[in-house]
Amino acid sequence: MKKLYVILALALVTVMAFSIKITMTSGGVGKELEVLKKQIAMFEQIYPNIKVEIIPMPDSSTQRHDLYVTYFAAQQTDPDVLMLDVIWPAEFAPFLEDLTKYKDYFALDRFLPGTVKSVTVNGKIVAIPWFTDAGLLYYRKDLLKKYGYDHPPRTWDELVEMAQKISKAEGIEGFVWQGAKYEGLVCDFTEYLWSFGGDVLDDHGKVIIDKNDAAVKALQFMKDLIYKYKISPEGVTTYMEEDARRIFQNGKAVFMRNWPYAWSLLNSDDSPVKGKVGVEPLPAGPGGRRAATLGGWVLGINKYSPKAEKDAAIKLIRFLTSYHQQLYKAVNAGQNPTRKFVYQDSSLAEAAPFMVKLFDVFINALPRPRVANYTDVSDIIQRYAHAVLTNQMSSQEAVKKMASELRFTLGQ
Amino acid sequence: MKKSSLTAFWMILPAILVISVIAFFPLFETFYDSFYSLSLRPGSVKRFVGLMNYERLMRDPRFLADLKHTVFFTVVSVSFETILGTLMALVVHQKFPLRGLVRASMLVPWAIPTAISSQMWRWMFHDQFGVVSKFWERLGIIKPGTPVLGTPGLAMWAIIFVDVWKTTPFMAILILAALQVIPEELYEAARIDGANAIQRFFKVTVPLILPTIGVALIFRTLDALRVFDVVYVMTRGAVETETLAVYNRHVLMDRAFTGSWFGYGSAISVAIFIIISVFAVIYMRSLKLKFD
Repeated sequence: MKKLYVILALALVTVMAFSIKITMTSGGVGKELEVLKKQIAMFEQIYPNIKVEIIPMPDSSTQRHDLYVTYFAAQQTDPDVLMLDVIWPAEFAPFLEDLTKYKDYFALDRFLPGTVKSVTVNGKIVAIPWFTDAGLLYYRKDLLKKYGYDHPPRTWDELVEMAQKISKAEGIEGFVWQGAKYEGLVCDFTEYLWSFGGDVLDDHGKVIIDKNDAAVKALQFMKDLIYKYKISPEGVTTYMEEDARRIFQNGKAVFMRNWPYAWSLLNSDDSPVKGKVGVEPLPAGPGGRRAATLGGWVLGINKYSPKAEKDAAIKLIRFLTSYHQQLYKAVNAGQNPTRKFVYQDSSLAEAAPFMVKLFDVFINALPRPRVANYTDVSDIIQRYAHAVLTNQMSSQEAVKKMASELRFTLGQ
Repeated sequence: MKKSSLTAFWMILPAILVISVIAFFPLFETFYDSFYSLSLRPGSVKRFVGLMNYERLMRDPRFLADLKHTVFFTVVSVSFETILGTLMALVVHQKFPLRGLVRASMLVPWAIPTAISSQMWRWMFHDQFGVVSKFWERLGIIKPGTPVLGTPGLAMWAIIFVDVWKTTPFMAILILAALQVIPEELYEAARIDGANAIQRFFKVTVPLILPTIGVALIFRTLDALRVFDVVYVMTRGAVETETLAVYNRHVLMDRAFTGSWFGYGSAISVAIFIIISVFAVIYMRSLKLKFD
């Protein structure tokens, strides 16, 4: 008996000496996790000596953020591969392995330029773009046709006009979006801001939000959607992505601003609006610009991981961001590729035609301010934008306060 | 020291060590950090700043506004919980069929994790699908289409409502325990002396459950003053519902590696600690509680 234990222990030690176990954080539910598990199985077949353990993360992006803060503050050696929101690389850069010298290994020149920009911090590559996101306009094809519109809205004014007419006649909401006080509000706000010809920071990181009247007009427009044009319900001030999607999917709204993930759900078999939905770039503002906020997730490597695990992690990231795996993920989990050429693949055109059709939106999506204390910047925008939407402050006053708090936070 | 007490000392030593490590050390560390300007960023410099963080706190409009929200939340929710909890305890103290089942099911709201029940309530307050919103509309409490959690004033009451729903059973269970240990002879004696039901309640029941209510009050107040999850899930601190703990999360987590805010965040924690102590002292004095 004793002998058996010794042999077992020895066998275990031998196996452990030759195989490396790495850990990876990921989304914890549904298709996303399922698809990743299959991808990991494929990876482990190619690299039999690397074992990958998935650490599922909470659903909420903020909770994930806080979890990473505690990991990094404790300088933990685990997890090795980190799934990061596109807005975090600058903040977490001190804790991420510098991947600049692997640029060619990952073939970064074949990625969407916006996504590469989002993982570049002070000239260094700190993560690899995994999948991307951009704000889109979903609309009801059938209703637009019924009321004699032969094309989806190209400008915000057109959207207001169509939404007013159709929602009144049909007794449903005109336009639903994300107006609750959370990160989603910043995504929606910056889209209006850009399409009205403004920006939060310039290329050198200087606050320019109050340099023209775009921010005031954008905020006023968002507020007018609710109280003046009455095409968005007052409840939009409490909506996140899923609130908006449920309303739209139940046929209770003409237009919706949302991310690409909504497409497959809207067209699932039990969806009341299956086959009736179109998707377009968001409308243009007075300046004629159509803008979408860049979202998505990137993969970084924990700086405190042991060398051997880092090497294995690099292999895993290259595998997951390779052409074929991105295609597999796009087709099976509906998450947008970050490699340009995947969009030209015929199997993607078949599985998710809108991704191919809207390639221009994904390649032109704009990043939110890329500063280390982005979460602070976001908090300021959220508070004042939400105060305007809930009638607690005028848009002029809100922009003035936003600008002065942003300058204080960024030390300007 | 006698031999037996020496043995006792050795036996409680592990517990003392564990408590010092997990309770006193973080508490001390927080106090200590609140006098410094520091960041969790590796290689950042820790600088002693004395009381500067506290001075800044007194001038921070966001802190002062959140203090107001937190105290309002605490006073209102704990008052409701105490009154309703006492009533609930008195009801389930009576003998009636299926009493055990009622007592057990009463605890369900308390047993559901707050993050989950808050999410559930967020949906019930939804302006389009929310069952509670629709009910309130019917009763004429709110106009149709009002987003309860997006309306200043209303949102805080909705949060209080959820907290009362959740923690009243906790109050009730503590007070029920106190009711159960009141000896029946006391009531008999009162009855013989000619006391009616109301007199028996105020002269026998109330004085005997008062110490328990006091302890329960301290528990609840302490919890309410550092309320986080219900607010964070339901409104994220929008429309004047931000509490001190929600602000503290922002300072400690969002700014952990940028700027030097960790000391400031610690100062907020200490401030919450001090406010809780003030409440505790007031309770102990006014209810003449003794802990010995």
